[in-house]
Amino acid sequence: MKQITLVCAAGMSTSMLVQKMLKAAQSQNLEVEIRATSESSFKEYADKTDILLIGPQVGYLEADFKAKYESKGIKVSVINTMDYGMMNGEKVLADALAL
Amino acid sequence: MASQQKFSHKLQRTAGKIQQNRYMSAISNGLMSTLPFLIIGAFATLFSALAWEPYQNFIAPVKGMIGLASTMTTGIIAVYAVFFIAYRLAQTFDKDPLIPAATSLLSFLIVTPVQSFDTVRALPLQWLGAQGLFVAMIVGLLASRLYIWFVDRNWTIKMPDGVPPTVVKTFSGLIPAILVALLFVIVAGLFMQTSFGTIHDFIYTYLQVPLEGLGGSLGALIAAVLIMQVLWMFGIHGAIVTLAIVKPIWMSLDLTNLEAFQAGAPLPNIIGMAFWSLFCNYAPMLGFTLLLVFMAKSKQLRTIGKLGLPGSFFSIHEPLIFGIPVVLNPVLAIPFVMAPIICAVLGYFATTIGLLPAPIGIYPPFGTPIFALGFLEGSWKLAVAQLVLIPISMLIYYPFFRTLDKQALNKELEAQEKLEQEQTGGTTASPVIS
Repeated sequence: MKQITLVCAAGMSTSMLVQKMLKAAQSQNLEVEIRATSESSFKEYADKTDILLIGPQVGYLEADFKAKYESKGIKVSVINTMDYGMMNGEKVLADALAL
Repeated sequence: MASQQKFSHKLQRTAGKIQQNRYMSAISNGLMSTLPFLIIGAFATLFSALAWEPYQNFIAPVKGMIGLASTMTTGIIAVYAVFFIAYRLAQTFDKDPLIPAATSLLSFLIVTPVQSFDTVRALPLQWLGAQGLFVAMIVGLLASRLYIWFVDRNWTIKMPDGVPPTVVKTFSGLIPAILVALLFVIVAGLFMQTSFGTIHDFIYTYLQVPLEGLGGSLGALIAAVLIMQVLWMFGIHGAIVTLAIVKPIWMSLDLTNLEAFQAGAPLPNIIGMAFWSLFCNYAPMLGFTLLLVFMAKSKQLRTIGKLGLPGSFFSIHEPLIFGIPVVLNPVLAIPFVMAPIICAVLGYFATTIGLLPAPIGIYPPFGTPIFALGFLEGSWKLAVAQLVLIPISMLIYYPFFRTLDKQALNKELEAQEKLEQEQTGGTTASPVIS
């Protein structure tokens, strides 16, 4: 099962997106685990993460996260700003799984 | 556009550097970790100091007991802060954080003077609360960093193979901890030779008071909000970047208020985290969102408004900022930057003329809804003020909103026309009516 972790400043706005992504996953019968957390506590979830999605408002963390976690086999990507704004869970999920 | 993007990238990098600076983030995250204790203390303070006479008479027999829960939390918050800041810093070095955190706590206690009163010897609570917060930050960072430095130099006791790992861990921390403790004993001793007596007196007088004076001014608040909003305009989380710098000062201002509130004294400060959150963080965007939901003719804007409305009540604005988008949108730059500043100035003057009470300084838990936060900060007046700022924000946004709506509507109409043309064959584009 794929595990996706979303991070932003406090994990609040990403948790809204997580809800939408879970709905999209359910309707497509996809087995994924999706969670949101603050960027500072991502470390605790690193072992349980296959795909790390970064909220665009903390997009400046991308280089740092890539350097730290890509070698551990975690795929790192910044969420598309428009999809983030529209809370387009389906698209974000599809993009993440296509990484 | 290319130069704009270049500037945006540059800003991103700078913001990242500030927010990710390990010492800044250790302070910021360390203070965040004290939140459970701050909340316990805040509620205990509210329950014990609620100014309603029948209630006060009712709780009179247990008032002291309720007060304990705040004295031992917010009242000694520097103790928690030094531990958590050191802990967070050690974590950034990927070190086991427990011993360096405890060593920092020890160092903090070493530089805090023990005082004797007749037969009683005591640690003065004065330096363990808000007034000791800056020493806690400094000692938390310094002691933890030194500890790690000693560990990295391998100034540790090596155990032979076969010794259980827990024992190895304890002993490997021994020499660094002793060295750090020794250093702070020397620091404490040096300060005893000066007229200050303690590092607490020195830091409080020469660092904390001036910084609080600076950070607690209206000008500082406006500058902070300005930077925050401009960063958001470039798609960067302005609040966490800016707060990484001002939060230590604003939190200590708030905690000073909370201590005064519990003691029944007048509140000394207006500006702090609480004030910023109350006046800048809700009404401006909520006003704008309401315009989108109820007055937008553009379908797209109305949809985004509806999407963002629930979050707006809890000060979550990302859907709007990226959906409309506010980011790099010249139409919205002025109201987006000005609305929270105007709200802050209005709130500040309403407080200085006595129309509103100063917030009691409870750390605003992220996600507290508008109106409820006003009550939490000690007064229904603040709750009402939060609501009053909504129509004011709507007024500020209105002219810009109209332009935005027109633009979006035109785009929608164009798209629709195009679609209709394609449906009717595409070639019969001439709109001639015979």
